[in-house]
Amino acid sequence: MSAPAVTEKAVPRSERSQARRFAGWREHHGWSAAASLRRLGARPLGTLMTVAVLGLALALPLAFYLLLANVQSMGNALGRNPAISVFLKADQAGAQARLLAGELGQRAEVAAVTVKTPQQGLDELAALQGFSGAVHALDDANPLPWVLVVQPRAGLDAAAVDALAASLRGEQAVDLVQDSSQWRQRLDALLGVGHRVVLVLAGLLALAALLVVGNTIRTDIASRSEEIGVLLLVGASRAFVRRPYLYAGVWYGLFGGALASLLALAIELALAGPAAELDRAYGGSLMLGALPWWLLLGAPLAAAALGWIGARLVSAWQLYQAD
Amino acid sequence: MLRFDPVSTRDEGGHEALSQLSFEVAAGEMAFVTGHSGAGKSTLLKLIALIERPSHGQIVVDGQALAKVGRGGIPKLRRRLGMVFQDHRLLMDRTVFANVELPLLIGGVAPAERGRRVRAALEKVGLLSYERQLPDSLSTGEQQRVGIARAIVARPAVLIADEPTGNLDPQLAVEIMGLFAEFQELGTTVLVASHDLPLIKRMHKRVVVLDHGRLVADIAAEEVL
Repeated sequence: MSAPAVTEKAVPRSERSQARRFAGWREHHGWSAAASLRRLGARPLGTLMTVAVLGLALALPLAFYLLLANVQSMGNALGRNPAISVFLKADQAGAQARLLAGELGQRAEVAAVTVKTPQQGLDELAALQGFSGAVHALDDANPLPWVLVVQPRAGLDAAAVDALAASLRGEQAVDLVQDSSQWRQRLDALLGVGHRVVLVLAGLLALAALLVVGNTIRTDIASRSEEIGVLLLVGASRAFVRRPYLYAGVWYGLFGGALASLLALAIELALAGPAAELDRAYGGSLMLGALPWWLLLGAPLAAAALGWIGARLVSAWQLYQAD
Repeated sequence: MLRFDPVSTRDEGGHEALSQLSFEVAAGEMAFVTGHSGAGKSTLLKLIALIERPSHGQIVVDGQALAKVGRGGIPKLRRRLGMVFQDHRLLMDRTVFANVELPLLIGGVAPAERGRRVRAALEKVGLLSYERQLPDSLSTGEQQRVGIARAIVARPAVLIADEPTGNLDPQLAVEIMGLFAEFQELGTTVLVASHDLPLIKRMHKRVVVLDHGRLVADIAAEEVL
């Protein structure tokens, strides 16, 4: 009999009212989330168009990211073992080539040196498509020189590799030095530009998404100005009035982001065939990849956050004007 | 309960809408504010609800000096007031129940308690069976009664009404005023702005008469003929 009364007394009134306030706040969040979703569903065409614009805008940086990541991956695969090819002068014999190779192998910045004979060079040339006829035409004469393939030590930076190549050019027995790491440096520089372009593009498109959501919420608020007026008159705080519009912004962003992820996946699927063919042509060494799962899941969440920000900025301003 | 200590205010055009207005309405009292169009009746109610601020003077509502209420405090003050408007200002896309429920939803009242209080308010204004209907399907008088139910559902200390019978026929107007008198009897302070003198006389309540923003007469209930 007395248990309920004891419980009632045990909880101070202020705590009870605070708990009730929190429950009310939570309840209104649930109501706002559901009501805003219903409002979006009540005008499907407008909602679809907004979501489609957001989806397309956000899919672009994802697609560029996919492209860049794969170009980088190709670059990594193709330039995994950058080497400096040192072509010796034609008068240099095998013994001198091996001697020089031994000397170079002692250098701290060199990991390995491989000696390639003129015959090996000729065989490689013959194996290349379109060169076999020309090689046969040479009969027994081999004009190719001895070649030393110098492998720089791992972790050597571009400047040190350049310095190594320059020092090799200074060797008396050397005719020509080809630094295969140079194209990789150029590719890296290009990729750096590409990454920056993607970042700028992503920033601009995120701003566009924010403006799209903001404008949609602005018209939504304008069309409900009477309702907002009534809510404010009966004692609603601006946070209370704003809440459904914030959720609308979150829904727009979430759906737009989800569409962007789906579009990016569709682009990935569309490119999968030709990419696989390219990979096969390089003996499966290109390691072409797909968009990471965290990005596919993160895009809708980031877009939802953008939608919230857009809705928050616009609703704050509009309600300030209305109040 | 309601105190104007001489209050002056100007309209957007810079004209004096209320001038040196001083009067008090005691707790649990019902009073009418009357006067011709432009006398300052609506301005007076707007000042109470902090829709506008006075240029000079002090207004006290339910013990709260309105000058000390900041922008963030306005919603809290309005939750302590019940407001009835001539155009009832209902949300037409929400049911009668949802309209009346609004102040309780805003106040964070628990769902079960909300249901109980909304039905009690609707019963009070004779519209309990209309709770699931949209306001559009109701007559003007019924819509006004929904507006009144919404104003009283949160049990406000003060009820203000701006021409609540302006759009109603005389019979309905008397019924609505009767409702206000009932709320007064239950302890609510009621202030009604109206220009309907015959109706006001019929109610036998205190009458404050304004003319060009000035108080020209304050007639006690027993003196109303």
